[in-house]
Amino acid sequence: MAGITGNEFREALLAATRCMEQYREVINSLNVFPVPDGDTGTNMLLTMRSGVEHLEGADSGDVGAVAGSWSNGTFRGARGNSGVILSQYFKGLALGLEGAAACDGQALGSAFSRASQTAYSAVGDPKEGTMLTVIRRAGEEVQRMLGEGVSDPLALWDAALEEARVALSLTPTQLPALREAGVVDSGGLGIVAILAGALDYLKTGNTGPVELELGEISGIEVALTGVETSISGDFLHSSEEAEWGYCTQFLLEGEGLSLEQIREDINGLADSVVVIGDAEMIRVHAHLMDPGAALTYGVSMGQLSQISIENMSIQNRGWVAGHRDRPAVEQGTGVVAVASGDGFAELFRDAGCAGLVSGGQTMNPSIQQLVEAAAGAGLSDVIVLPNNKNIVLTAEQAKQAAPEGQAIHVVPTTTVPQGVAATLAFNPVRSVEDNLAAMKEAVEVVVTLEVTHAVRDATVDGVAVTEGQFMALSDGGLAAVGGSAEDALLDALKGVDLDEDSIVTVYWGEALTGGDAEETGRRLEELVPGLQVDVIEGGQPHYPYLVSVE
Amino acid sequence: MTIRVVTDSTSDLPAHLAGDLGITVVPCNVMFGDDTYRDGVDLKPDEFFQKLGASQRLPTTSQPSVADFEGVYRQLLDEGHEIVSVHVSQKLSGTYNSAIQAKAEIGESAPITVVDSQMASIGLGLLTLQAARAAQTALDHRETAEKVQAALPLTGCIVALDTLEYLQKGGRIGKAQAFAGSLLKVKPILKLEDGEVHPLERPRSLDRATRRLAELAREQAPLRQLAVIHSTESERSTELKRSLSDLLSEDQIIETRFGPALGVYVGPRAFGVAFTREG
Repeated sequence: MAGITGNEFREALLAATRCMEQYREVINSLNVFPVPDGDTGTNMLLTMRSGVEHLEGADSGDVGAVAGSWSNGTFRGARGNSGVILSQYFKGLALGLEGAAACDGQALGSAFSRASQTAYSAVGDPKEGTMLTVIRRAGEEVQRMLGEGVSDPLALWDAALEEARVALSLTPTQLPALREAGVVDSGGLGIVAILAGALDYLKTGNTGPVELELGEISGIEVALTGVETSISGDFLHSSEEAEWGYCTQFLLEGEGLSLEQIREDINGLADSVVVIGDAEMIRVHAHLMDPGAALTYGVSMGQLSQISIENMSIQNRGWVAGHRDRPAVEQGTGVVAVASGDGFAELFRDAGCAGLVSGGQTMNPSIQQLVEAAAGAGLSDVIVLPNNKNIVLTAEQAKQAAPEGQAIHVVPTTTVPQGVAATLAFNPVRSVEDNLAAMKEAVEVVVTLEVTHAVRDATVDGVAVTEGQFMALSDGGLAAVGGSAEDALLDALKGVDLDEDSIVTVYWGEALTGGDAEETGRRLEELVPGLQVDVIEGGQPHYPYLVSVE
Repeated sequence: MTIRVVTDSTSDLPAHLAGDLGITVVPCNVMFGDDTYRDGVDLKPDEFFQKLGASQRLPTTSQPSVADFEGVYRQLLDEGHEIVSVHVSQKLSGTYNSAIQAKAEIGESAPITVVDSQMASIGLGLLTLQAARAAQTALDHRETAEKVQAALPLTGCIVALDTLEYLQKGGRIGKAQAFAGSLLKVKPILKLEDGEVHPLERPRSLDRATRRLAELAREQAPLRQLAVIHSTESERSTELKRSLSDLLSEDQIIETRFGPALGVYVGPRAFGVAFTREG
């Protein structure tokens, strides 16, 4: 696309605000730095709502004007540390877009770079591992892409969002408070929500809820589930012990004010200092034990308005209580399995699973769904069986998102039959460690055959498969191709070591009837004398047969 | 004065062993509808499992009455004996309570010690045999009971069932409830521990269960006593006996059968092992 128009940009900002609204509570609950008081999401949201009010009735013809109105609004309504930094971020965006009728790639690059600069400059003592880092790295990525010749603004925005996600995921490695609490930065998550919400609208016109897709981040800690977050007990305790002082904010109006001087002076008095504005109007945000000192300084410089003083120790206690007030969990171990198909659901329940999450090949559950199912089990240890290779990573990430008092463990099953074997190896009276060992061992001896039909001509593992043919995969590799599901299965089983001690379990899918499956079972029994063949309704989509050999 | 041992029919002791050692077995009752049978007296295993297969409703069991025990105790006391009465876990049955009450009826000073074996089936059987042997050399009923108590933590019983259905319907499933799944036709392996049924593993075939049972028994070696048991398929216990013959010679391995009282809960095709470890 040539460029984002003023009207589109306006709608994108509204979408970003909705997204902030959607994730506000999650962001609040992740808030551990600089003060664990649980208001980051609310502050960012209220700051943006002030922007929304200023957009109403404003000219939305050109993108520069829209960004300007928005920036003014967020400046006036900026609240809290993160809100003030955010308003500076929007100010930078507006400066980068000033005078532009539409936002093309170059304009976007300049807007994101300016936004990063202004955000950093607002903070007295910038720290890495915060929303600043997320903002900066998103801007840098856009510059890098521009250097590579990418000019489509949506492609650039996409890259910025992806980089922001990565930067967010790395925040615990940069900021000790986050590592200690076991979370990612709350303000950084807010930036991801803003970028994601806006981009989602620009790409699809979506005005509903937005998925942040944090599950895609690999190999890092993402303590985020969408509804539940967990803060380490030690962190909660030590945060309660500390004295946090007062969050003090005001708007200072005067003439010929020196932004730099005021920032420096306030920085000498307080922590978490954010001072933004111009020669006539300056917004001050500071944390200090004696709010009077900041106010006294303020009145010596000009007129004060919008004065706000909040006791952060009280806020902190509310936040801690919110995190401690989780549903009670019982000592014990249970299993949560991911499966699709009514048959499998019943099978896992019947075999004693404490929870089930619907999902599979084309329908991967979110971290949130897994964590909710684990929480629903109400046990201190929950073993998650992802039962699909695309879900293993999500399950691993769910470990970090386990609610207080609960540990999530994963046996990385990649097929449903593996999950069944693991479930049967589970024994609730044993320790978690013993169960994990037994379940992993059980998974290793299972060979899974998956029979599916080719939806188009393709070459799979070097073999040409034509549309409508049936393929049998053995532990993920192509084992046989046939004109019918049964032929493919029988052919594939010839490649598996079978003896009279083997047990073949045939789980038949939704496309078949029990009669078909029983007939197939009889054919399989003929393969080896004495072979045990169990035919069970799986009810799974996509695969007429899922078969395990153990 | 001699010391005599009393047990109940859930001990599944082969009649000849009980007879040789002078053990009195008090029968439990098994009811099919309105018909009551004395376990092992009016109803033998073959007939029981046949009836079990043919019966629409599952049979139920009841413990021997206080009067049953009182009668047995009084007769032995009249003959000049002291008594050690070893019974099925009170977490599984009220038999122990019947025995305790019978003693109270006779008088607390009567030379009778009642022992909760925390076992059932041939696990109880093995403890009863130890009691009978100890009785031959012990000073009195108390010392005999102490020797049984000492053997108790060394004694175990592990069974494999074709289905948990009987245990579940009989209300004795305990912690094995977690293995209740039936869709996959698992063959649950259970053990008696602390007087209750505990789940161990759930293999998918009786052949695998047989092998696992042998392995689990082997882990307990060296053994002082070993028994194998089955409900309807003698080849299971024969196979177990053969595969464990290096632990104790085959003629020392007791081969027995789940009687009606236990059969109500384990059902057909069940089998198991019981052992006493060397102390």
